[in-house]
Amino acid sequence: MINILTGIDSTSSALNAERIRMDVVSQNIANVNTTRGPDGKPYTRHQVVFEAVLNDQFASTSPPGSRPLEVRVPRVELDRRPARLVHQPNHPHADANGMVSLPNINMYEEMVDLMSASRAYEANLSAVKTARSMALQTLSIGKR
Amino acid sequence: MRPEPMIPANLEAAKPKSIPFTELEKLSPGILPLPNTVQPATGGFEKMVTDFVGEVTAKQAEAANSVNGLMSGKNVSLHQTMIAMEEASISFQLMVEVRNKLLESYQELMRMQV
Repeated sequence: MINILTGIDSTSSALNAERIRMDVVSQNIANVNTTRGPDGKPYTRHQVVFEAVLNDQFASTSPPGSRPLEVRVPRVELDRRPARLVHQPNHPHADANGMVSLPNINMYEEMVDLMSASRAYEANLSAVKTARSMALQTLSIGKR
Repeated sequence: MRPEPMIPANLEAAKPKSIPFTELEKLSPGILPLPNTVQPATGGFEKMVTDFVGEVTAKQAEAANSVNGLMSGKNVSLHQTMIAMEEASISFQLMVEVRNKLLESYQELMRMQV
């Protein structure tokens, strides 16, 4: 296979990873007031873990050290911080003391995460754009 | 009024005549046929071009597959589709560029005076 846009595999994997991060953040934002999950407990904040992996495709051909590293999300972990306790005696999920456990989500944190994911996505998109324009510029070498 | 350029009555006669190869051979023995020392592998260049066009077609098919997958709700992401389409487009442009170069060199050869 001819390789037109070199190095695009790493960028593609990063775009994928950032999109997953965005999905998880929006899931957190959506569940900011969820007091009951499938397990009967309030929703717990999820966070993505990124991991660099070797691209298998190039593992045998290129020398070690120059192999493109890709990003992937091996798992989504739960935030271990305790749930927020709010005094709301009339809430259906309030305990004996009138306290309701709300998810351990800080909206400001989530918004910053969202912006950071969006910016990282943008940065990777510019890498794609640059690779593309470099290829096009190269094609115009022999033009008069 | 400018003077008319001198045009020979018989235009055909004025044109440079092409000399048959057999005549050239008589004039300068050994000039023809070309020394064919480097024998290309059977269908070498043709095969290379065909393979290249095949690669470009494969890229186009990959992009089309990706778009199909995206449109039919399969697990294909938007950026993968866009990158595949971009690669297909650039490889097609590369193919056109190669074709232009080939044609240019052919025309250059055809313009050559013998």
